[in-house]
Amino acid sequence: MNKRYSSKNLLITLLTLVICAFTQVHAQDGKALFNANCASCHKIDDDLTGPALRGMRERWGDDKLLHLWIKNWSAAVATGSEYAKKMSESRPAVMNTFGSLTDEQISAIIDYVETAPAKKAPEAGGSNAGAPVEKDDNNLLFAIITLTMAVLAIVMLTVNGSLRRLQEAKDGVPSKPILAIYKNKTYIGIFAVLCLVLFGFFLSKGAVDLGRQKGYMPEQPIFYSHKVHAGINQINCLYCHGGAEEGKHANIPSVNICMNCHMAINEYKGEQLYTAEGKEVNGTAEIQKLYAAAGFTHGQAWDPSKAKPIEWVKIHSLPDHVYFNHSQHVVAGKVQCQTCHGEIQKMDEVEQFADLSMGWCVNCHRTTKVQFYDSATGAGNKFYSIYEKFHEDLKSGKLDSVTVETIGGTDCQKCHY
Amino acid sequence: MKINTSIFLAIVGVAALTSCGRDKRSTGKVYMPDMAISRAYETYAPLDSNKFTTDANAWHSADGDVKIFYNSLPVSGTVSRSNDTKYNYPLAFDKAGDTANYYASRFVKNPVTSLTKEELEETERKYLVKCGICHGAKLDGNGPLWKDGDGPYPAAPKNLMTLEMADGTMFHSMTYGRNLMGSYASQLTPKQRWEIIYYIRVKQGKVNQDAPAPTEPVADSTATVAAAH
Repeated sequence: MNKRYSSKNLLITLLTLVICAFTQVHAQDGKALFNANCASCHKIDDDLTGPALRGMRERWGDDKLLHLWIKNWSAAVATGSEYAKKMSESRPAVMNTFGSLTDEQISAIIDYVETAPAKKAPEAGGSNAGAPVEKDDNNLLFAIITLTMAVLAIVMLTVNGSLRRLQEAKDGVPSKPILAIYKNKTYIGIFAVLCLVLFGFFLSKGAVDLGRQKGYMPEQPIFYSHKVHAGINQINCLYCHGGAEEGKHANIPSVNICMNCHMAINEYKGEQLYTAEGKEVNGTAEIQKLYAAAGFTHGQAWDPSKAKPIEWVKIHSLPDHVYFNHSQHVVAGKVQCQTCHGEIQKMDEVEQFADLSMGWCVNCHRTTKVQFYDSATGAGNKFYSIYEKFHEDLKSGKLDSVTVETIGGTDCQKCHY
Repeated sequence: MKINTSIFLAIVGVAALTSCGRDKRSTGKVYMPDMAISRAYETYAPLDSNKFTTDANAWHSADGDVKIFYNSLPVSGTVSRSNDTKYNYPLAFDKAGDTANYYASRFVKNPVTSLTKEELEETERKYLVKCGICHGAKLDGNGPLWKDGDGPYPAAPKNLMTLEMADGTMFHSMTYGRNLMGSYASQLTPKQRWEIIYYIRVKQGKVNQDAPAPTEPVADSTATVAAAH
């Protein structure tokens, strides 16, 4: 009796397991089918190009009609159904037809949509793991060590002096009178020279830095994080700043380029963002600022003519009397963006990486090798083909490389004209 | 005592000089700014509204004020010197609720019928910069923004390897945008758009094949379709 009971139990368990496994596979198929066929226009819990799908079985009421709608919506309208007619007029975009989907596949998709777990809202103020860490500043430590050493040196010198005086007293030699440190001419002399050097250093440094903006990190109208876009999401710099390979300016993207992605991406779900001052930033609220500038309301069609440009704050400025062209450096020179702009893909807020001084420009021109075209490998570029003599010298081994300076990259009129 | 005072002053002076840290939010000071700030108009420079106007009809006001009209757009009718008319696209953007031009786009042929190896490599680079972020480096519709649904982009991009769409319709979508995809007219020239379509065909192994049969119903097929035939 007991044995029979348990075997029956086992059978039921097995059966349940099989059914469970089957529905599991079914639901997973539904997810794959949903992603392949529907996800371009539909989200489960939110309106996209098409309406949110959860609860559609209940809204339609008639499974057959719903299947017909998905396979060919105009056929569903043709049946005379009020709801199908209403749905066909509800949105400006026309739904695709999916005649190739079988009834089982459609059922799997609907099952997946109805049972899919709702996406959790991001936890507000959860862990502080992403909080900005204070940069290690060793200057204070060095200052304390230097000061301690200086005090130690003075103490040792004083001790040494006292010992010498004792020795002199023992030997009967008349010694010099003891002076306080601030009356001792040697100490005063050393101190004065030190002060002069320090003063001179800071004065000249301050004068040289006048008009330079290295480290400048203005507050922008929208907290746009290059780290999120170019770093985490791997968007190429040239996607937005396409001008860098076309002309003088790298170009700040217009609102329509932001909207290429943000028409769909209306919330920020990544790690907590912080300003340079350590204040928390609400990413979703920042996207709302973009929508305000674009004149866009989520869930409605976007009219680009309503967009207003965002007034970003310019960071890098060159004086009027110097000419700089992005395309020359990016296309002909094959210089990476990061060489001059620093590790942009790690910056939440962009700061000026280089001081953009003439010395900085010239240094790079002196050390950077020109990438001549190599017909064997196809590397480099043909922009420099007019320098025939250098090409020949490189081939014959007379020169091992040609720098920008060699082809006139440090001539005044290259940049000043 | 006198020496004492001067030492004290020196220490205070040095401390004052070194304590002036750089404020990251400010541009700092500039000496003789007229050497640094352009008097000529530079890109993104703000325009003084007392001297400039963006309204072509308001440059001469009633009380005799004359302003400079400047809106940074090319004069209407200007043609770029690099623009070859063979890449021009004849169809306009459909009005809301109309799909006639979208439908007619399938009859527009790709003027790019061959690319050299170098041109194809350059086109691939362009594709990876402008399209790969959504449609994937392998054209499988699984770029870093989608990542099988784990990326930040909520809608699945089209799988270009299996996409059955006419060349002209692709061009129409790239130029004017389609559903969630925005217009790439500002980021790619017509030539580059046609070249990318050719590149997609090369990857699909369907170079210069005829357009597939229509798969979408037409909401409004008016005279435009007939004209395109």
